[in-house]
Amino acid sequence: MIEKLSTLWPEITLLIAATLSMILGVSPSLAIRRLCAPIAAAALVIAGLLAYGDDPRAATVPNLALPHLAQYGKVITAAIGLLLLLLCVGLPDRDYEAKLARGGVFDALRNTRGEFYAFFLFSLTGLMLCAGADDLIWLFLALELVSLPTYIMVAISTSRNRSMEAAVKYFFLGALGAATFLYGFALIYGATGTTYLPKIAEIFQAQYAAGGLSGIAVAGLVLSVIGVCFKIAAVPMHFYTADVYQGAHASVTAFLAFVPKTAGFFALMLLLATVGWASGEATTSGLPQPLHTILWIIAVLTMTAGNVLAVLQNSVKRIFAYSSIAHSGYMLVGLIAGPVVGDGSLQSSGLAAVLFYLVAYGVTNVGVFAVLASLEKRKAGAAAETTDEVDSISDFRGLCSTSPLLGWTLVISCVGLLGLPPLLGFFSKMPLLTSGIRAGEYGLVVVLVINSAIAAYYYLRIASTALLESPDLASSSTVRPVGIPTRPIAGLAAAACVVALSLYTITDFARFGAKYDLPHKQVIPAPSAPSAKEAPAKSPSAPSAPAAQPQANVPGATTTN
Amino acid sequence: MNSLSHMLPMLTSLDLSSTLAQGPLPAAMSTITLYHYLFTSAALFCIGLIGFLTRRNLIIMFLCTEMMFQAAGIALIAFSRFHLNHTGETFVIFILTVAAAEAALALALVVLLFRRKESLDASVWTELKG
Repeated sequence: MIEKLSTLWPEITLLIAATLSMILGVSPSLAIRRLCAPIAAAALVIAGLLAYGDDPRAATVPNLALPHLAQYGKVITAAIGLLLLLLCVGLPDRDYEAKLARGGVFDALRNTRGEFYAFFLFSLTGLMLCAGADDLIWLFLALELVSLPTYIMVAISTSRNRSMEAAVKYFFLGALGAATFLYGFALIYGATGTTYLPKIAEIFQAQYAAGGLSGIAVAGLVLSVIGVCFKIAAVPMHFYTADVYQGAHASVTAFLAFVPKTAGFFALMLLLATVGWASGEATTSGLPQPLHTILWIIAVLTMTAGNVLAVLQNSVKRIFAYSSIAHSGYMLVGLIAGPVVGDGSLQSSGLAAVLFYLVAYGVTNVGVFAVLASLEKRKAGAAAETTDEVDSISDFRGLCSTSPLLGWTLVISCVGLLGLPPLLGFFSKMPLLTSGIRAGEYGLVVVLVINSAIAAYYYLRIASTALLESPDLASSSTVRPVGIPTRPIAGLAAAACVVALSLYTITDFARFGAKYDLPHKQVIPAPSAPSAKEAPAKSPSAPSAPAAQPQANVPGATTTN
Repeated sequence: MNSLSHMLPMLTSLDLSSTLAQGPLPAAMSTITLYHYLFTSAALFCIGLIGFLTRRNLIIMFLCTEMMFQAAGIALIAFSRFHLNHTGETFVIFILTVAAAEAALALALVVLLFRRKESLDASVWTELKG
């Protein structure tokens, strides 16, 4: 166990920074209190570099099913954590600091700045631990460490009643989800006698060889998956999503849409890796039939419910909450498809597609919520302090002309989430589709494509409101930017990341495909490769024709003969 | 209670009695099997779930989730005894710690809500919907 500590330096860095931030946050001096955010940023940078420099093969107990998950997970946590931190700067204690500036007396009990940054870092620590988990106890603690701080972050994000309501709803459903997957973990332990994931995988393989998984193991896996559905906001546990996303401040909502979801997908990957994915004729692995059916149903319902309910909404935050549910459904397709047959590694699989999708979704999502957080609405004639969050679509009318940077960030992010070809969403959704096709999940792929079409309605509705409509000057309330410069910067950084990643995937498509060995590179040439070999034999007249052409000609040739 | 007190010395001398799992159980244990514990834990879990879904008092709802946590704890202890290793018991210690943290959080949130609306009824809070 002690050698495991050496792989945990990123997490240790974040924990130290969280503790420091808790102490400095209650200092009576404003200059010292302001250090919290820079400390958190520095810790994230250091943790990211430490994780990046980590050699995954040096880990004493490599997770054989997912060898790169720990390193990849930690690096993306640090990177997107930095964007989220930019978005959250200036959020805690905004009203309280304004009161202090007008001559209030500092009271350490009433201020929440230190706690906010500490909980922010604790939650990211949990996410990193989740990526590196190799034990059920570890996984349970990591998942709880991700979630518990987020409940408090929701509650203290604004002083409105709706934040309290959101926090308590989130907490109670979170506790229900935690209890469910905990019971599932208990049953998995009962079926195998160990909590060590590689050992569990061995025992499951032995059970397969002896005629199938025991019922208690299947029940445990099913309960765990349903419990973890709370974290990824998938169907049986999705009820809280819209309320919580709407009640929390937009900065915290961005956090909620990325961190617990990513933790949930890491946990699902680790859990499903213990049974493995079906690999052709081999019978020693594969998702057990009940688990496969349940995942299939969850994926279809999640995609459909998310998109259909999003179409019905007028509140932008609720639209993005439901779209977040839908994106979880898309990623479940990759999760069901699993890695490529005969190769359990991370690099050639639907799992790789999911991991890339998480980054793409996380970055784009920060862009959207940064725009929401950067704007505030003020009623005409109301006092200067009474501002409200922008929430209805009509608040974005003509945003591209009134504040072009925010407007274009919103447009790029919406189109990116939708997945129009030049942007990131397309290049992250395509591997999911191809991995689904490879795994033979045609039904899921069709549902995914139909849902992407439904999603176009509400994404384009938001984008066109910002881009095409003219600002509503006669309205009783005015929308204007908040005076916190880091939020638009976070949005711009996110939009820049979206564009940069899109350009990277376009210009360097071949190398990108080779590097990560994404499924689209394998699936598309696969049917043409044998036909290219057979082509000279069957049709020697066209040896230089494109590989796909002889294949198309063959049926025609046979009919004429 | 009587059978539990018979069990206790056996739990403490696990290393000496590691052959027990294969051999026939002593008379005191033969009346209570693993399935009794699993049934108890499943019943607790279901009662907690039903209570959570039907009650609207915030404190009762929280107690129901605690009950579900403890159901998992009972299952883990029983499995731990069945497999004759201490992993399950270790897990339970961690669960108790997490449950304590959740209790602190839940009560803080409930107090916060009670101060705003002077009610513990969850149905008072319906600002967010649509």
